[in-house]
Amino acid sequence: MTTGRSLKLGEAGLGAAVLALGGFIAFQTAQAPGAANAVVGPALFPYLISAGLMAVGLALLREALAGKIAHGGGIELDGGAVALVSGGLIAQLLLLEWLGFVPASTVLFMIGARAFGSRRPLVDAVLGLALTGLAFTLFNYGLDLNLPLGSVFDSLAGAPD
Amino acid sequence: METLAALAAGFAVALTPYNLMWATIGVTVGTAIGVLPGIGPALTVALLLPVTYSLEPTSAFIMFAGIYYGAMYGGSTTSILLNAPGESGSIVTAIDGHAMARQGRGAQALATAAIGSFVAGTIATIALTFVAPLMVRMALLFGPAEYFALMVLALTTVTAVLGSSLTRGLASLFFGLSLGLVGIDLQTGQARLTFGIPELLDGIDTVVVAVGLFAVGETLYVASRYRFETEEIFALKGSKWLSREDWKRSWKPWLRGTFLGFPFGALPAGGTEIPTFLSYLTEKRLSKHPEEFGKGAIEAVAGPEAANNAAAAGVLAPLLSLGLPTSATAAIMLAAFQQYGLQPGPTLFDTNPDLVWGMIASLYIGNVLLLMLNLPMVGLWVKLLVIPRPWLYAGILVFATLGAYTLNNNVVDLVILWVIGLIGFGMRVLDVPVAPCVVGLILGPLAEQQFRRALAISQGDPTVFFTHPLSLSLLVIAALLVLAPVLLRAVRNRRGDRQAVGT
Repeated sequence: MTTGRSLKLGEAGLGAAVLALGGFIAFQTAQAPGAANAVVGPALFPYLISAGLMAVGLALLREALAGKIAHGGGIELDGGAVALVSGGLIAQLLLLEWLGFVPASTVLFMIGARAFGSRRPLVDAVLGLALTGLAFTLFNYGLDLNLPLGSVFDSLAGAPD
Repeated sequence: METLAALAAGFAVALTPYNLMWATIGVTVGTAIGVLPGIGPALTVALLLPVTYSLEPTSAFIMFAGIYYGAMYGGSTTSILLNAPGESGSIVTAIDGHAMARQGRGAQALATAAIGSFVAGTIATIALTFVAPLMVRMALLFGPAEYFALMVLALTTVTAVLGSSLTRGLASLFFGLSLGLVGIDLQTGQARLTFGIPELLDGIDTVVVAVGLFAVGETLYVASRYRFETEEIFALKGSKWLSREDWKRSWKPWLRGTFLGFPFGALPAGGTEIPTFLSYLTEKRLSKHPEEFGKGAIEAVAGPEAANNAAAAGVLAPLLSLGLPTSATAAIMLAAFQQYGLQPGPTLFDTNPDLVWGMIASLYIGNVLLLMLNLPMVGLWVKLLVIPRPWLYAGILVFATLGAYTLNNNVVDLVILWVIGLIGFGMRVLDVPVAPCVVGLILGPLAEQQFRRALAISQGDPTVFFTHPLSLSLLVIAALLVLAPVLLRAVRNRRGDRQAVGT
């Protein structure tokens, strides 16, 4: 159970993050070399946006401190499931170009299904393989897109492509 | 007459068997993906982008037109049977539509939504046909200063209108604008906020951000809430047809909804949310059975659903004729145009008439196809609702990553997708709307371009935005939209204080 109190912290965190992003953009823009030849240089808009971010960040902080938050009664969140899904995405992007689209995305499919309470990893694996295999065939042969086959298999198959 | 000739040429393009095939595929997959819970029209269009990469632009956009309308139809099914509106425009439909489904009248709710969408879609497409050329003519009078003011207005309406809190909307908007800064500045060639990562020089892709927020962020949120929520699906039973009474109670709301919806979509006035609410309130006031509203009144499905679809067609008018997206879905369509190196706007009507008019013509065709797809075959789409959630969301993740990767065949886009997804999850938990972020990301750089062009023409004189009457009035409207609620609240508070003192 995430309570009103931690949501209030989250809300304050949002304000702080927006404020920090504004400061960061202003800092980065000040660091960049200026271009003198244009009437309006490339720095004006970043400065405007960073000023806007900082103003909004302050307003959010004020609202958070005043207790004006979303889901005032608290909200239940399952952190484990979020971590699983996010981990699944990381696993896929690390494996993608090495193992290829089909195995990497099957891993993502299995982890994703697990996060939503599936307890049958084998069924998920078969379904994931079928789905990603179908997508791979359709996109690579039907639509001329290049989903990676995987560097491991490239050498095995000796495919020129 | 010129318009009719252009439209006829458009039909000649759209009715070739090849393009007709893409239109049919577009409406079918658009409906199929749009029906899936958790996937609104914006995400449907974003997820189906890769399917069009190998097509030439005209066919691709004919297919897009189908996907866009199909997703709107599919979305109403989800709101009615699952009470899970995929976007803000179907929230109102869900209230009474779901109540009807509970009473076993789901089929009638779906039918009045489908026929209403057809009526509204057709009338609004006719309106689009004639309004778009007018807007093009108007756009030719616009200089950079006016364009900039118009974009500011569009950004403001998207932000001020959506969501419950202006501050949260602005936070989302400015986050989107900051993402838009990343990449090479087009006028000076200077890199901004790229941190030395070469893949960032091209900027952050709108599609990656939209998929990150709508697919990954939403999936993370649903995962976090999954253990605590139950959902019920109500089977369709009994007669699938509208009774005479249903027809009688539906046709006027369809028409009224259409006439409310189209102008709101066509003016940069904040898309579909307001007209659907207005339509609901109008129907409630005019109805002989106001007590049924909220408990399954058919008018409350017919009107808002028509308004929603009419607004969706209306949104295409500023998108095509001014290059101005006023909803998240339109922002993704604009990104799709940019993928093909096309910039919607007055010149597009001159340079690519086949594409523009072929697309408009295929909207008419798509509407007819959708009516045929949705009335007799509704039972088939309903089956998609019962896909077990673990597989549905796992599949959404796979296709979200597929879409992001195929943009540039680049793992960096997947990293961005992951980061944006986590941010989207945070935004969802804290109730920050995501649409302003997507629109800000795509409009920000365009607005900056016009701003700098305007100042280059005026030789650095910033008063140019206030001395041009059109630009001034647009900026004043934008300022009022932001300030009016704040001022009203201040006045009300003061009045409240005085009353408190008086009693």
